[in-house]
Amino acid sequence: MKLNLCILCLASIAFYWGISAAADGASSIKPIDKNTSLEEARITLGATPLIHHMDAFDAELAVVGEQLIIQGKANYKEFKGKRISSYFVCTDCHNLGLETLELTSVSQQDRLDYAVQNKIPFLPGSTLFGVYNRTSFYNDDYYKKYGNLVFGARDSLRNAIQLCAEYCASGRPLLDWELEAMMHYFKREELTLNDLQLTTDEMDLVSTASNKTAKIKGAALSVLNDHYVTAFRAHFPGSLDENKRTYGATGNALNGKKIYESSCMYCHGNARVTYLNLDSDVLSGSFLWNNKEGYDDKSIYQVIRWGTFPIAGRKQYMPLYTTEKLTDGQIEDLMAYIKQLANK
Amino acid sequence: MIKNTLLGFTFLFGMNGFSQSDTNKVSETFSTVHIINGHSAETLKKRQWRYVIAHRFGDIAGPAGGVQTAFGFDNASDIRFGFDMGITDNIMVGAGRLKGANNPYRSILEGYVKYRFLSQTKDNSMPVSAALVGTAYATYMPTSSDPLSVASFPKFIHRFNYAAQLSITRKFHPRLSVAFMPTYVHRNLVNENDQNGLFSMGGAMNIKLTKSFGLVAEYFYNLNTSEARTNYTNSLSFGLEWITNGHNFTLNFTNARGFGELQYIALNQADWLEGQFRFGFTITRTFKY
Repeated sequence: MKLNLCILCLASIAFYWGISAAADGASSIKPIDKNTSLEEARITLGATPLIHHMDAFDAELAVVGEQLIIQGKANYKEFKGKRISSYFVCTDCHNLGLETLELTSVSQQDRLDYAVQNKIPFLPGSTLFGVYNRTSFYNDDYYKKYGNLVFGARDSLRNAIQLCAEYCASGRPLLDWELEAMMHYFKREELTLNDLQLTTDEMDLVSTASNKTAKIKGAALSVLNDHYVTAFRAHFPGSLDENKRTYGATGNALNGKKIYESSCMYCHGNARVTYLNLDSDVLSGSFLWNNKEGYDDKSIYQVIRWGTFPIAGRKQYMPLYTTEKLTDGQIEDLMAYIKQLANK
Repeated sequence: MIKNTLLGFTFLFGMNGFSQSDTNKVSETFSTVHIINGHSAETLKKRQWRYVIAHRFGDIAGPAGGVQTAFGFDNASDIRFGFDMGITDNIMVGAGRLKGANNPYRSILEGYVKYRFLSQTKDNSMPVSAALVGTAYATYMPTSSDPLSVASFPKFIHRFNYAAQLSITRKFHPRLSVAFMPTYVHRNLVNENDQNGLFSMGGAMNIKLTKSFGLVAEYFYNLNTSEARTNYTNSLSFGLEWITNGHNFTLNFTNARGFGELQYIALNQADWLEGQFRFGFTITRTFKY
C-alpha cells in the first residue's frame, strides 16, 4: 500500500514537472529586435492579437497573393485562376510601398511630394504597405457609400478585402485560396520594428520590456502605437460649394501639375483604366476647364469628391478622393494647372 | 474571266513592336479603329470588345435621290453589324455582316485581323504609328444565273475576296492628325479585262474641334485605271465625330455605297458630281470583358 502511494506521488511529481517544462517551452519569450515583426512584438508585450492574426506563413502562397494583387489573376496548384475583376486590379487604387517618408505622416502634401519624388502614383486608396498591422478599415464616411457592408469589414482585414474585391473593384468574391494568398502576401509585407523608425531609447525600451512589469510593457506598446497608423481616417466632404470655388485663382499650378500627372494621368493617360482618355494638352485642359462649374460628374470639383458610379455595361468607375487624401487647396492647385493647359 | 485564286494572306507578325511605356505613347491619333471607311492605326486594347452598327443611306441627289427618296433616307445602300475584340493591346480581330451594296455582291461576311506594329511616341523617337490589316470577305448570296456575272461563282472560292491595308498615322498636334493608307484588294473572280489585284492610296485627316467633337476627311485614290474600270470612282468622305465615354458616333457624307475595302475601293461607282453621295453613320459601343 505504502509502495503504491510512493509510486503515485513520484508519478504526480514527474507529471507536474513535465507539464511545467512543456509550458515553459511554449511560452518562451523570443527577444525583440529590429527584425521582429510588429505583431509579434505587440503580442510579446501583452497586446491582444489582431482579429486576422496568422500564426503560419506560406511563402509560396504569398507570391500567388502578390500576383493576384498586381495582375488580378493567378493560378495555384490545381486551381486555375479567373480574373477577380474585369475592370480593376488592387494597384489601380493602392500603392504597395511607403507613401510618405514617415510612417505616421498623413499629410496630403507629403504624400504627393513623395509620390512625385519616387515616381509612384498618387492614388485615392491608402497604401497596402503595413495593411496587415491595421486594426480598422473602411473608416468614417465609407458607410455613406457602402452602407451596412462596411460594418462587417471594419475590424477584419479578410472581410475588408472581400468587400473591396466584390464592390470597390466591381468584381467577385475571392475564393478561399485567393483570400488566403492575399493574406499571406500581406503577412509577408507586415511591418517590422525596423519600419517604425524607433529611436535608440525607444528600441531599448521595447526590446527589454517583455521581462518587466505590466506598466513598462504598456509604455512600450504605447511607443509602438505612436509609430504607425492603425486606421486611416476617411471623410467625404462633398463637392466644394460653387460660391467657395476659386477656379484655380488661389491654386499653385506647379503643384496641380504634380497631381494631374501622378493621379489623373495614372488612370486616364492612354485611357488605361477608363474610356475617358486624357493627355497633357489643350484639348483635355479645355474639356476639364469648360466643365468646371456645377455639380455634374464632368466637373473636377464634383468628380474628385464623389467619384462616378459603376453602371451596367461600364462598371469601371472613378473612386473618390477623401479629404485625407486630397485637400480642397490641392483641388484648386489642380484647377490652376488645368487653366494653364486650356490656355485660359 | 477567271484569272487566278488567292487563298489568303500571310502577315509578318514576327515584326516586333517597340518597347515603350504607355505614358510615352501618343494616344487618340484617330478616335477609333476605323476613320470613315478605312482603318486607322488604333486598335482595341486587350480585353476590350465593341459592337458596331454602321449605315449608309441612298443617294442624296441625282436620279436615285432628291425629295422622292427623302434625300436617300428611304434607301439603305449598305448596313454593317460587327463585333471587334482586342487580343492584346496591339492585336485585334473583328467580324461583321454587310448587307452589301448589290454591285454585285450582297450578304457579305467580313473578318479581319489588325496588328499595330509601331506606336508614335511623345518624344518623337517613333514619329508615326502603323498598323497592318488583313480582311477577308465571303458572300453567301444566291448564285446568279447570268454566267457573265461575277456573282455566278463558278467555284466556291469565287465567293471570297481579300484586302490588305497598311495604315500609317501621325498626330502632328493635339488638334490635327493625318493618315496614309496604301491598300491592296484582291478579288478571286472579276469581269473580262478587269484586274484581280487593285492598289489604292488612301489619305485622311482628323481635325479635333474639342475633346469630344472632330471633323474627318478621307479619300482613296485608285491606282488601277484600265479601260474596264473607267466607270469606277474614288471614294471621298467627310465626317463629324462625337466621342463619349464608351460610345463613338460618326456622322458622314460619302460617295461610297458599300462598306469594306472590297466595295469602297474595288466596286464603287458613285460620283459626288452626279449627286451620288449619301448620309451615313457609325455607332460603336466599347465594353471590357
